[in-house]
Amino acid sequence: MADPLSIFLTALSPMNVMLALLGVLAGTVIGALPGLSATMAIAVLVPFTFVMDPASGLIMLGAIYTGAIYGGAFAAILVNTPGTPSAIATTFDGFPMAKRGDGDLAVTLATIASVVGGLVGAILLMTLSPKLATLALAFQSTEYFWLAILGLTLIATLSQGNVVKGMIGGMFGLFLSMIGVAVIGGDVRFTAGMPSMLGGIDIVAALIGLYCIPVLINMVASAGQHLEPAPARGFRFFEALGIALRDWINLLRSSIIGTLVGILPGAGGSIASLISYAEARRASPRSENFGKGEPSGLLATESANNATVGGGFIPTLVLGIPGTPPDAVIMGALMVQGIRTGPALFQSGDGTVYIFMLGLLIATLLMLPIGLIVGRYAFRFIANVPKAMLVPLIAYMTVVGSFAIHSNPHDVLVMVVTGLIGWIAARGGYGASPIVLGLVLGQIAEQGFMRAWMIGGARGDFMGQLLLNRPISWGIVALILLTLCLPLLRMRRQAQPVQAATVRVGHRPDMPGLVGAVVFLLLAAWILLQARTLSTMAAAFPLAVGAAMAMLSLLQILRSWRGRVTTDPEGASDDATGRGAVLAMTMLLWALLFPVLGMFTTSLLACVILTMTGQFGRLTTRQMVIYGLGVLMMVSAFYLLMVRVLNIPMPIGLLP
Amino acid sequence: MLETTKFGNLIGAAATMLAISASTAFAWPDGAVNYIIPFNAGGESDITARYQQPYFKEATGQDLIVQYLPGAGGAQAWSGLNGYNGDGMTIMGTNLPHIVLQPLLQDPGYQTDDITNVYMFHFTPDALLVQKDSPFQSVQDVIEAATQNPGSVIAGGTGTNSANHVANQVFTNETGAETTYIPYSGTGATESGLLGGEVDVLWGYTTVAARQADSVRMLAVATDERHPLFPDVPTFKELGIDMVGGAYRGIAVPSSTPEELRQQLSDTIGKINADPEFRKRMEADGYAMIDVPYQEMAAFMADRKAAYEKVAEQLNSQN
Repeated sequence: MADPLSIFLTALSPMNVMLALLGVLAGTVIGALPGLSATMAIAVLVPFTFVMDPASGLIMLGAIYTGAIYGGAFAAILVNTPGTPSAIATTFDGFPMAKRGDGDLAVTLATIASVVGGLVGAILLMTLSPKLATLALAFQSTEYFWLAILGLTLIATLSQGNVVKGMIGGMFGLFLSMIGVAVIGGDVRFTAGMPSMLGGIDIVAALIGLYCIPVLINMVASAGQHLEPAPARGFRFFEALGIALRDWINLLRSSIIGTLVGILPGAGGSIASLISYAEARRASPRSENFGKGEPSGLLATESANNATVGGGFIPTLVLGIPGTPPDAVIMGALMVQGIRTGPALFQSGDGTVYIFMLGLLIATLLMLPIGLIVGRYAFRFIANVPKAMLVPLIAYMTVVGSFAIHSNPHDVLVMVVTGLIGWIAARGGYGASPIVLGLVLGQIAEQGFMRAWMIGGARGDFMGQLLLNRPISWGIVALILLTLCLPLLRMRRQAQPVQAATVRVGHRPDMPGLVGAVVFLLLAAWILLQARTLSTMAAAFPLAVGAAMAMLSLLQILRSWRGRVTTDPEGASDDATGRGAVLAMTMLLWALLFPVLGMFTTSLLACVILTMTGQFGRLTTRQMVIYGLGVLMMVSAFYLLMVRVLNIPMPIGLLP
Repeated sequence: MLETTKFGNLIGAAATMLAISASTAFAWPDGAVNYIIPFNAGGESDITARYQQPYFKEATGQDLIVQYLPGAGGAQAWSGLNGYNGDGMTIMGTNLPHIVLQPLLQDPGYQTDDITNVYMFHFTPDALLVQKDSPFQSVQDVIEAATQNPGSVIAGGTGTNSANHVANQVFTNETGAETTYIPYSGTGATESGLLGGEVDVLWGYTTVAARQADSVRMLAVATDERHPLFPDVPTFKELGIDMVGGAYRGIAVPSSTPEELRQQLSDTIGKINADPEFRKRMEADGYAMIDVPYQEMAAFMADRKAAYEKVAEQLNSQN
């Protein structure tokens, strides 16, 4: 092994520190834009690293990765849209904080949490890699199944007092995750005969739609500001630091959960942050504040997702099995540089890997100044830009972002349609978050269970394979039971059963909820019918999901009929107006027309319409000129970014 | 007078345009070329594309930009291939048996003949792998265990109706040994399945054995001759099992791509493939080099199609 001093000096060379700085900055910006992912940014930049010294190139890629995971928090906090799937849980408390005017505090908290999480992950990577890598192998199909179920139990906590509707939403999400070619069985499922649906519903596209479209519709529905306007003030750094220090147990726990989940190939940042969110809520004395803008929730998710960066490198470097998709690209870059990851790496005496780890640590520290500065401007910008500009900007980002995932126009349509479905479902009290949980965890749950079933069948011991002989699974199942039962226990201990969540409002049936339940019942019937044509392997999960959805829908029909109106924080707030309808139509036409007309032209037209939709009151000539120029600049800038910088092939339209 | 000038201008303009279009045809590539990989990053398709990247730049002076369009085992990308401009600026990775099996077994939105392959540059030979502590020392051990107790040997692999699945089926056909095939999503997942002991044997490739080095033992490899990296590992043929094959990888273009561009691309890839440095690096990772240029593609594809059709029928009847 190369000597520690030279490793230290190389990692700290001005060139490498500058690359780390640039990487973090680029990553933060890319991560903040929904749809543009760390994987994409790294893949585009890999060729440039070939001309660099291997260690420098790797430091830059690692810095982009960690920056992107952190950047996802911005969009989550300020626009309620996770910039990356890792930031899904950050929306739960981040957006409510921003909404009430604490966006600056939320961004600073996210920065501190991300730095702490990133440091814990990187330090564990540097010190305990070989030992921790065995965890990646101890986790097998069975454990992934239980892990997914643990994630799904969050539905119960997220759907506050409206558990049946939440579970129906979760089942709907699971259904969405099954669309396309089944990995196990190979059957084509639920595509309704459309070849474009074979690849299934892209999680990122659906995320953007489910979270962002309702936000956009809400924005045009009322004249008020998107976020509480904030007075010009500092970073609120010491205030945030105080909150973080008081909550250090939560920070540390979430960082360790994040690192451990990051080690599991195929789990990733979204699951890490969801699980640490659930744990933070369970342990917190303020658990009823979670989901309403509780800083602890934000600290938990942001420390956990950045900890997965270091965690993910552990199996990548030690076992040669990439922990996350960006790790896979970095592993490819390492191989091209002639560095073979895997068992031989740590014995090879090559210092590059240690320089890289140290570089990752430095990049994580650099997130603090960069994040504070970027965050301050991002918050001011989102809070102060007039709606007439903000609406087209966010709408354009959703279209560009969902297109950029695979340069596929189909994903844009998926984004808009799932978004509209999500918005309509929310009108009936079926929130977006349970749907997202089902979608994100569905494939992990299904494949894990089916494999355990097949292997258990072959070994003649299904229960042993699923649970009895698997001590790690016992632990996860215990956590599941704890998460589900603790709220009940707590309620009993308080002696005064809190019935507030479900209030019976007279005898008026909850019509929107009822209609929703009927639609879900019909969907369940269709799932069950379709499942009969599938092979056993591909049909088992749809049958279970369909049956559960049918039963829950029947139960909900009954509840809605008896007038059990419940308050859903996500569903109750918005009010349909003509503007909302215009926005929905514009988005739909945008998605349908841009492959024909061309991205630039269609986007320009759509943005002009949306500027007018987002404008309240009379438009002065001066405003008109400013807005016109603003829209033109914005559309051109992102179009050029995609075509020239990211090299995303555009559909061949009639016009650019 | 006026008329003739106009006419003259027109001819001049037309001539200029012709000259421009002719020169662009020969100036390929006149910018960065997008190389779409129909799978996630980190797999063999991705890594070999990365290996080609610097040589492509050397050969053409232009960047080769690797992009990922995963979904439906590659079908997502292949069904959209012909929608791209046929100007040589977008090329796509193509994999066998995928592009033959998928249309045979379901409707993936494309037909095998819709894919214009211009070059097949390597394949990863099928290999039967076990963990280093496995009781199976030879292929014979596996066959015995699977024959005595059909279905008791658990074999992992990537996906359903995939190259690994085909290998498992051909193995059963040739030896009568019945295994339980467990599909995973992605090579990485299969490796942790094998190393973690979830599966008894793994249908993988020589590349997996190269990467995992001492953690796994390769029992046999599906090549004609022994692979240079593994001189001690027998081929299936030597063991009396008629199995030669694996996952072939090549490059395809949209069907609107003109003949001369296809030829040019084929020549470029051939040139990269001939580079001794490139070959050495590919072989060190366990890849087996092949050279199927554009002119020989039709014959190669016909041969492979015939080989997969029988297996496809069997896989179909199992579902």
